[in-house]
Amino acid sequence: MNEVITNDQEKCDQSLAALHHVIDPEIGLNIVDLGLLYQIDFDEGNKIVFVSMTLTTQFCPMGDSIRSNAGKAMQHAFPQYTIDIDLVFDPPWSQERISEQGKQFLNQ
Amino acid sequence: MVVTTNNNLVQNTTYKVVIPFYVYAALSFFAATVLLFLSDNAFTQHYFHPRTLAITHTMALGWGTMIILGASHQLVPVLIEAKLFSNFLAYLSFVLAGLGIPLLVYSFFTFQLNWIAQIGAILINAAIICYLTNLAVSIWQSKKENVHAVFVFTASVWLLVTALIGLLLLCNFSQSILPKDSLHYLSLHAHIGIVGWFLLLVIGVGSRLIPMFLISKYDNRKELWLIYFLLNGALISFIILFFSGVDDVLFMLPMACTLVVLILFAKYCYKAYQQRIRKQVDEQVKISLLSVAMMLLPIVLLLMMIVLLVFSFANARLALAYGFSIFFGWLTAIILGMTFKTLPFIVWNKVYHNRAGKGKTPNPKDLFSESVFNKMGIAYLAGFCLFLTGVLLSNAITLQVASVLLLITAVLYNFNVLKMLFHKPLIK
Repeated sequence: MNEVITNDQEKCDQSLAALHHVIDPEIGLNIVDLGLLYQIDFDEGNKIVFVSMTLTTQFCPMGDSIRSNAGKAMQHAFPQYTIDIDLVFDPPWSQERISEQGKQFLNQ
Repeated sequence: MVVTTNNNLVQNTTYKVVIPFYVYAALSFFAATVLLFLSDNAFTQHYFHPRTLAITHTMALGWGTMIILGASHQLVPVLIEAKLFSNFLAYLSFVLAGLGIPLLVYSFFTFQLNWIAQIGAILINAAIICYLTNLAVSIWQSKKENVHAVFVFTASVWLLVTALIGLLLLCNFSQSILPKDSLHYLSLHAHIGIVGWFLLLVIGVGSRLIPMFLISKYDNRKELWLIYFLLNGALISFIILFFSGVDDVLFMLPMACTLVVLILFAKYCYKAYQQRIRKQVDEQVKISLLSVAMMLLPIVLLLMMIVLLVFSFANARLALAYGFSIFFGWLTAIILGMTFKTLPFIVWNKVYHNRAGKGKTPNPKDLFSESVFNKMGIAYLAGFCLFLTGVLLSNAITLQVASVLLLITAVLYNFNVLKMLFHKPLIK
């Protein structure tokens, strides 16, 4: 099960709700249930949201688009903040990060 | 404002490199089925027939090799986790092969194996050298050991060996440079190409892509290395036996090794299928999985041929059925499936890359018609089974009907490829 590390749970939940609309086009599953998000931190002083996320593979052909869509979804949810997306591959994504809802979706 | 502090995403190979190979392959498949339709009577005769040679080379080079070269320029960076070394070398290999293949096919078709054929073969060899150089430098720069990349690289070396032997055989037609006539070496040329290039490459890439598309956690490096050594061992022992002039029955040894490899690979795919997270398997992956099972058919036909040879009875029909089941069977099935798992992503990125977040974008699989794909699959399976029956029975009417079905397959395939390539963005 994936858990997103954060310093502000309330805003993190708000972020996850927004990122629920970002879909991996190949798999058809949103990036939250797919377990692509590692950390979402808020710097209130400088009004910056730091999003640390991954992709199913470093060479995901849809990588640029997924990252861009995640940025736009976050910007929409937090218009007064600068969104800083950090794409990381350590630790690498694994199937274990897919949520129960995600697994149910893929089992359909 | 959205910023990116850490962009670890390695850039994909540009679509401008990859798409020309796909287009060339699609047109070659159509050309091969037209030739098949016009030459169905050639399949009631000996396999060393000008039209059979022309069709085989259109399928092996124009269809199989060109699409693999195109796809591997996209896939190799994924496998080795590094950028492709040179787009220029990729373009150059396309241009050289693109010019060489028609020259060679035309020469076979007219059976004038003169300087035109030799130039064609030289151009194809030059294209392979460009591809191999690009691959070698890309892998060397990546410095990451990867079993799949080793499969691809070794397969490409075998492709060059196949093409060099092909060139030698062509030269041997006009000047006697080899101890025996070119027909004698045909099985050497064909099997290095089929096993060394196509089979090794399909296993190397398929063992990475099939679990990926199924979202399966199955991964067994040990088994892949075993397959790698068994298959290369089979090929090297075949070459040694070929030049030793030993009894035909000994050829059972490399054949048995290849059979073990096919069973191991089928088991690998089955395990990946069993451990998949995505339960729903789409039609494109289904046809690719079917092609794995179709690999066993040529082996059965080959076994029958060797048994008959041991009793000094050569069967030309079985040899034709064997070649047909490889190029129009196993190889075509996997390409039909995998084209629609790779090309939609390449086109999607080309069209929607800069439009992400501007509105609802279609999914890559929406870029082609699923219904046309299904019809293509039915026409293909019916055409393949019928043509194979026609070859084995030497029945001209069956061959004619089957060739129409395969022509329809090629038309539907080209329709969907063109539909993707001319896709207009649904959002501005």
